[in-house]
Amino acid sequence: MLMSTPRNHANAVKLTMLLAGVVLILMMAFGLVMRAAQGGLFELDPAFFYRLMTAHGAGMVGVAALTGAAVLWYFVSRYVDLIEGVYWAFLGLFLLGVVLILGSIFVGGYGGAWTFLFPLPAISGGAWEASAAVAFILGYISIGVGFLLFYLEVGRKIVAAYGGIGRALAWPLAFGGAQPDDAPPPTIVAAMATTVFNTIGIVVGATVLVSSLVNLLVPGFAVDALLAKNMIYFFGHVFINASIYMAVIAVYEIVPEYTGKPWKTTRPFALAWTAILLFVMAVYPHHLLQDTVMPAWALVMGQIVSYLSGIPLLVVTAFALCVYLRGSNIRWDLASALLVLGVAGWSVGSAPAIIDGMISVNKLMHNTQWVPGHFHIYLILGEVAMAFGFMAWLVKDARASEFTGIDRLGLGIYLLGGTGFTLMFLISGALSVPRRWAVHAEEWFLQDRIATGFGALVVLGALIFVALYAKGLSARRES
Amino acid sequence: MMWRVTIAALIVFACIAFRHVLERDPVTHILVQLPLLILSGALLVPPNTVLAYSWSKGGYALLIIAVTGIAFWMLPRSIDSALSSDLVEVAKFVSLPLFIGVPLKLGWASAHPILRGFLKAEALSMLGVMAFLYTHAPVRICNSYLVSDQERLGYGFLIVIFFVSLLWVTPLFAPRNAFRNSSARTSSVPA
Repeated sequence: MLMSTPRNHANAVKLTMLLAGVVLILMMAFGLVMRAAQGGLFELDPAFFYRLMTAHGAGMVGVAALTGAAVLWYFVSRYVDLIEGVYWAFLGLFLLGVVLILGSIFVGGYGGAWTFLFPLPAISGGAWEASAAVAFILGYISIGVGFLLFYLEVGRKIVAAYGGIGRALAWPLAFGGAQPDDAPPPTIVAAMATTVFNTIGIVVGATVLVSSLVNLLVPGFAVDALLAKNMIYFFGHVFINASIYMAVIAVYEIVPEYTGKPWKTTRPFALAWTAILLFVMAVYPHHLLQDTVMPAWALVMGQIVSYLSGIPLLVVTAFALCVYLRGSNIRWDLASALLVLGVAGWSVGSAPAIIDGMISVNKLMHNTQWVPGHFHIYLILGEVAMAFGFMAWLVKDARASEFTGIDRLGLGIYLLGGTGFTLMFLISGALSVPRRWAVHAEEWFLQDRIATGFGALVVLGALIFVALYAKGLSARRES
Repeated sequence: MMWRVTIAALIVFACIAFRHVLERDPVTHILVQLPLLILSGALLVPPNTVLAYSWSKGGYALLIIAVTGIAFWMLPRSIDSALSSDLVEVAKFVSLPLFIGVPLKLGWASAHPILRGFLKAEALSMLGVMAFLYTHAPVRICNSYLVSDQERLGYGFLIVIFFVSLLWVTPLFAPRNAFRNSSARTSSVPA
């Protein structure tokens, strides 16, 4: 049985979601500008394009992680006593990091992409000074420290309350004879798994970030490019995946309110989350399939684990959601629709991801728009949809009607825009249109322009969701 | 208390007596001698000792002293100086026990669990950075040691990370102070 989220935690999370909503719209606007410029709708200085691309990438990864963390904190605080000050420290360090990153990009001119791959931050060809790259990396470190504090607090409280990492992951149920009734709730299992793999990712990330800093300040101190790339992609893959795995907690907690069926920790659920814990950390070599100097076993592992990674998601979360929804007489509203959309988008997005994780396909597709196609499905129709669903649910009681016309309009626009926008990425990728090019050939303009139209719909839908959320918050304050 | 001081003195004595052997190789110099000297300082502090001064509250001041000392002795330049200057060598034998070992033990006792966790995570990251730098440095970092020596030291840091991670993570699977659901909320009121 659950307790309500303490008011102080709830208020902190609501503020976070408002900030995140504004940043999401800004980042989407950056993306829209880039797609329009690629389509030749207006001229954009390529140097400025890469700055926008860097801000868009870092900003979207950051805000996805922020919304996921907010969801996790909101629901975990129902089960264990969390220290509110840690959340504020996390948010403060996150915002400090954002200031440093935006300063490095729009003041310092840094445009080396969110992946800060060696040696690009240091060798810019005069596009930016080393100091700009230093500010960018310090921004990441600030955000990383914030997340580290966040997970230390969540992790230590769960470990103390549930008797260790294994029990919190429901291992007695998964591998022993324990009964489902004795297992921790799904939120705790998901929070524990995310805490473990993202803490490891952050520690590895901190190592490569500090090493990159040394390289920037003492250029003679070269970093091994392949090792740095492995560490960066381990950190980056784990971090962005953690944002989705944290956000799905909203589905576990909120959907039962609509279906009337509590989401339970079952043996397949416990096994799935243990598999996720391992797969998230083992699958990252699928980002390095074109690095032919990588050991063959690592690349093969990347492909095989890519196949396996879809199983816990599709079989457990998506299938379980279908089971919970079936015959439940669910009362649809904006929150429930967006949360279900989030799981659907996440599941659909895994298909092009698994296809791209095949070595033979990746040889052709890796540097095409197929790749942004799959991760934009994950984000626009997956994690971000869940975040908007969570926001809608937070202000649900301040709304007059359950599923208003404006709700339906926003959802329809967002779904149409998101589907069209991501499909155009996939189609462009299948046509071998390269990714990360500021200037496109005229032959690619049609896809770019269609995508721009759909992208505008996504931004409009997001604007409606955030405006409804702000209005709901305002109505709650007045009442 | 007496036996603790005796063991601490024996460790320092052994480090001094075998200093030429230990310092001949950077792996034993940095990964054996320096930690032993820090351990000797920590042994001087009785278990569960918490300083009850306002300046020592939360362990911040003491931990800052210890971390500053660690940062100083992480610098290859400091290691080089210890080998080339008797004065710095003496400073090493004095500062590692007294300015790192003692304040680390005292500060740790009163530090908040989050601060302890943060320092552990940072320690693992910095060990990783040291491993990275020593295995990939394009130049000799210490004048006193060969490039091949510093590479071995880098791999030594990696081995240390592995065992320290095991040491710190293993108890989390069965914490001694765990009492199932004791701090979990239990009453019911959906939001």
